[in-house]
Amino acid sequence: MSVLIIALVMGALFGFSLNKAGLTRYSKIVNVFRFTDMAVLQFMMTALIVSMIGLYGLRALGLLQFPNIPGTYLVGNLIGGLIFGVGMALTGY
Amino acid sequence: MKKITRFFGKELWSPYTAGALLGLVAIATVWISDNLLGASGAFENIAGMIGQALAPQQFNNLYFNFIMPPGVTFGVMMLIGLFIGGLIGAATSRTLLWGKPNALNSDEQWKRVFGPQTWKRWLLAFLGAIVLEYAAGIAGGCTSGLAISGGMLLAPAAFVFIAGMFASGILTTLLIYRGRY
Repeated sequence: MSVLIIALVMGALFGFSLNKAGLTRYSKIVNVFRFTDMAVLQFMMTALIVSMIGLYGLRALGLLQFPNIPGTYLVGNLIGGLIFGVGMALTGY
Repeated sequence: MKKITRFFGKELWSPYTAGALLGLVAIATVWISDNLLGASGAFENIAGMIGQALAPQQFNNLYFNFIMPPGVTFGVMMLIGLFIGGLIGAATSRTLLWGKPNALNSDEQWKRVFGPQTWKRWLLAFLGAIVLEYAAGIAGGCTSGLAISGGMLLAPAAFVFIAGMFASGILTTLLIYRGRY
């Protein structure tokens, strides 16, 4: 039960950060594909770097274990990504 | 104190600041709950729930029994939280459009490209979302569940996915925008 409340709170923080980065708008998402507004990449890469450093640091200190890492099926991941991009450019999600 | 309220009242933060916040949230999620951030899986959990209520036979298969079990999962709660968090974000900067005249179709760039009709926006959003969800099902996650959550664990899948997403996204946008690209 308490895990679900954590999910709710973390989701809210996630949504809050997306909103403050402006990624809840169609134009922000599409403009990264037009190279006129790089906010999506700046946001994503900052999140990646911060979380990478934190997670690998905490693991090195023995404070946490990694959860299941998303599986690699190169064909599935690539085709999924290719279709996903079409949807993303159409809707701006 | 005033500085803090002004900071939260800003409509847009620097993407670096917002991204750092998301990075911390991702760490906290793994640390506290041993789960990853994600959004697209929740729709499949909900679809499975509806499907098993309406057509239990068709939904009694490998995918819904083992890969995407139906029910109120971590992801579903996170999705609800995402919605609430977005509302809070907009409310703090007084840009919440709920109940305002153009709330259903607010993006100026969209109107310039596709026309001002609201039904068009909703139809394309619906069809595009089907494409998105289908693709996320194939790839094993979406921008948050695979690209960010996988990327931070250095999963190869995430980087293959990001490459595909940008390749076809750039191409699709090029086709839609043509001369205005």
